[in-house]
Parts: sequence; structure tokens; C-alpha cells
Amino acid sequence: MPSLLLKKVGFDYGDTFKLEDINLSIPEGSFLALIGPNGSGKTTLLQLMSGLLEPKSGQIALDGRPLDQLSRSQLARQMAVISSEQHFEFPFPVAEVVTMGRFPYLGRFEQLTRSDREIVDEALKWTKTLHLRDRPISQLSSGERQRVLIARAVAQKPSILMLDEPNVHLDLNHQIAIFRLLRRLNQESSVTVVVVLHDLTAAAVFCRTVALLCEGKLARTGPPQEVITTEILREVYRADIEVHPSPIGGTPQVSYSADS
Amino acid sequence: MKGGSSLLVLLMAMLLLAGGAVFIGPVSDPSWTIIQEIRLPRVLLAIIVGIGLAGAGAVLQGILRNPLADPFILGTSSAAAAGVILAGVLGFQHYSALYFMSLAFALLSIFAVYRIAQFNGKTPVQTLILAGVIVNLFFNAAVFLCFSVFFRESYTVLFYLLGTLTEGDWGLIGISGTIILLGLGFTWLFSRELNILTQGEATAFHLGVNVGRAKKLLFVASSAMVAAAVAVAGLIGFVGLIVPHMMRMIVGPDHRVLIPASALGGAIFLILADSLARILVPPLEIPVGALTALIGSPYFVYLLRKRHQSGKF
Repeated sequence: MPSLLLKKVGFDYGDTFKLEDINLSIPEGSFLALIGPNGSGKTTLLQLMSGLLEPKSGQIALDGRPLDQLSRSQLARQMAVISSEQHFEFPFPVAEVVTMGRFPYLGRFEQLTRSDREIVDEALKWTKTLHLRDRPISQLSSGERQRVLIARAVAQKPSILMLDEPNVHLDLNHQIAIFRLLRRLNQESSVTVVVVLHDLTAAAVFCRTVALLCEGKLARTGPPQEVITTEILREVYRADIEVHPSPIGGTPQVSYSADS
Repeated sequence: MKGGSSLLVLLMAMLLLAGGAVFIGPVSDPSWTIIQEIRLPRVLLAIIVGIGLAGAGAVLQGILRNPLADPFILGTSSAAAAGVILAGVLGFQHYSALYFMSLAFALLSIFAVYRIAQFNGKTPVQTLILAGVIVNLFFNAAVFLCFSVFFRESYTVLFYLLGTLTEGDWGLIGISGTIILLGLGFTWLFSRELNILTQGEATAFHLGVNVGRAKKLLFVASSAMVAAAVAVAGLIGFVGLIVPHMMRMIVGPDHRVLIPASALGGAIFLILADSLARILVPPLEIPVGALTALIGSPYFVYLLRKRHQSGKF
């Protein structure tokens, strides 16, 4: 049974941009990358899939139930989202930020239980942020922050995790660390991962499926080797590129030269 | 969390004190009469107004994700004052009309500021402050228009506008106190939502917060607190800025502790400020609002510069 199912989804902001006729089935345990040029609708699609935006037409269902029929906390217990909008003006300690992941499980008059605390500790350990637990999030480096946000998402105990460019502004070592965390989450806890990416190399290495968007339409969906090809990328990105298999692992890798 | 609940107990004790104070027995000593008729209402007024302004400030700073928000700077206070003055001009005598006008104008102004300052779902600090300045100027102009036409001779109204704790009507003190303590308790129940809202609205949505509803309820509750404070004490500025900011440095950003701590701090701050206002230029009294503004403005500049230097602007 597909975890997330999009049927003929359409959306527009009332200007020239339009997302049209998106059909996508994301089975449980998938690791999916949404790729495509700027303005192709990746982030908008992610916001639709996460319930932040409502589709103008079509339907999105999570485990067979339309998103708009789920309460706010029901949705948050199923789905964790790390958006690109991040605020750190208020110096909450890391442990407190991760504890926010338990919010959808708590009634207004309920206190945290021992099991909530254990889940938080587990999430901190798992993302290797336990040593940061008392530090204010405002003082951390971007790599550390991203790991804390993943810990918060893990504490939500979701069945599906969505991220909008989690590797942006990160050094290569931190990027790899983040993607490895996501892969472990996917493989060991069978959490479905959907991630918006600009980095096609990372998409090819870590994701089992890629969905390529072009001008608000889903151009291709499939395994990286079938979608990240010289022919398709040249057409969609209108860029003079070549795709070769990586010398380690053989995943498709994009290269280009200075001369046209 | 334990700190939060113990502070709440303290607040309840203060509520009891406020309620019990009315019943303090009759003694025929003249100094006791002064204490009972003048000083006691004044201290109680300082406590409830301090709680109202600082509590509302803490809440507004959380919703707007902006440690520079304050009911006075955002124009909420002067809008509420405009409502009160207008009620006077229209000859409304009843308490309910006074509070209704004060609250209606406070709500109107806060939604106006919010709508003016919001672009693409964001409320950047610069536009927020600018929107506050504009709304503030507008309602100030309205207030002083009314003043110059209808209350030209009245020092009472002038002192009210400058912010003063001389209201001796137990009925007004009781109503404002009740509204403020209820508002404080209500917003405190939304502490977790407030904590999460500081992480951004999309994030709050994804963590299961009903963002639209929470924001509306919190805006209304904090406006009610401001309106109730302004109805009895006029325009006392910067309490809602200074106190929550200082408390955040002491107890941290968690609203479960920060809201009660700000309430307590606000009460103490205003009692001290009012004592100063009484003794600074004897035998005259200066309006306490003038004093808090004199302290508050440089503090605001300091906060602004500090944020600027840390690149958060």
C-alpha cells in the first residue's frame, strides 16, 4: 500500500506558475528525491505533500486518508517535515528543541512521560547530538543544527520524513553525514524519506527513486540511472552536460566543461 | 517546568492578596486611611498593570518571533487609550463600554499592524516596527485631537495619557485585575505552542500546532491584557519590552517559565518605577509612564544595536 498517493494534483499561486496533473505514488519505505530546475515546483510540491498548502485540484492521501481529513496532530504523528524556513532567534536548548517533536502526542494539560523523555534521548543519541543537549540552538554551527532538526523529526516518530534541501549551506562532510543519517533512518526504521534536492550527485547516490519536475509537471519518475541521464538532463535543464557512471558505485554523475 | 508551576502558585497568592486586600478591616487611624485609600490601590494597580503589560509583551514577542515587540511600540497601548478617550467623549459612563472600546481598539490596531507588516507570510522586524510606529502615530493623533477638543483643561486626562497609577476606583482595579490574570492564565496554557511558534510558522504547522487558531487566540488574549491595563493606567510604555527581555536572560526562553516570570518581574518593575516617580521630584509626582519611557527608549536602542551587531537584522 502506498504511503503517500497523489492523484491529478494541481496548484497555482494565481500568477504564471502552475503545478499540473501530478500523479505520484510513494510506497512505504521509499527514499525519493524531488529534483528539477529552479522554479519547476519542487518546494511547492513538497508543501502540498506535507499539507502546508492545499491542492486546487486533485487529491493527496496518506495511508488511504485524504490529508485534509487528518487533524493537525494526527498529521504530525505520521509526518515530520524539515522546511527550509528556520528560525533561531530564541536560544532554546537543544534538548528542548528536540522535545518539541513530542508536541503532537501531548494533550494541553499533559506532562511529558518517561517514555517521551526516552524517545528524546534516543533521538539525540541517534543523531550524535547528545553532547549538545544543553547548548542553545542559536549557538550551534549549521551542520549541528541540521542534525538537531533531524533529531526533532525522529522524536516525532513519523512514518514519513520530508526535507527541503537539507544539505544547503553545509560542507561536504556534513552533507554526507546528513544523508547517511537519512539513509539509516530509511533502512533501519523503514521511514519513508522524501527530499527536495538540487544536488543531483547526492540524489543519485542516496535515493532509490527520483522524480524530475519540469515547468510544474512531473517529467520522469524512476531509479536514478533511468532519470539522471545525459539526454533527459540536457532537455530539462537546457544545460550542456554529460552524465557518467561514478568510479565508485557506478551511480550517475554529472560533469561539464568550461567551453561550450 | 517545576519553576513554572511554583511561579504560578506565587501568582495565585498574589491574586488572593489582591482579592483579600479589599476586605482589610476598618481602622480609624488617618495614616491607615491613606494606606488603604491611596497607597494600597496604587500598589495593587502597579502589580496588575505590570503583570498585564509584561505578560502581554512576552506573549507578543513569542507570536511575532521578535524580541523587540512591545504593546507600546506596536501601537496597541495608544489604540486602547484612544478607545478609552473616545468612550469618554461619547459620554459612556458604564465600565463595560470603557473596556469594550479599549479592547476593540487594541484588537483593531494589532491586526492592522500585523497586516501592514506581513509580506509573503513573513513579518520582518523592520516592517513590524515601522507598522507599529505608524499605527501608534495615528492613534496618538486621534487621542490628542480628542484631548485638545474635549479635555483641554483636564490634568487628570493629561496624566492618564502620560501613564499614571492614581486610579482609585476599586471597581476598575478589580475588573482590570480579573481580565489580566485570566489572560495571563490563558496564554500560559499556550506556552508549548508559543515555544514552537518561535521556531517558525511552517515548522509549528508540521509539529502539529494549529497555527492560525493559536495566533488569533493569543493576539486576542494579549490585546485584552493590554486593553485592561490601559483602561486603568493609561500609556505606560516599554514595560512589555524590558521585563520579558530581562527575564529571558534569567530564566531562558521557555514560555512556561517566561510568562509567569515576566508577570512577576512586571509587577516588581512597575512598583519600583512608581515609587521612583513619586519621590524623584518632591513634592511633585511625575507620571510613571514618562519615567518608563525615559528608561525604556535607551534600552530599546541598546537591543536594536545588539541585534544589528550579531547580524540578526
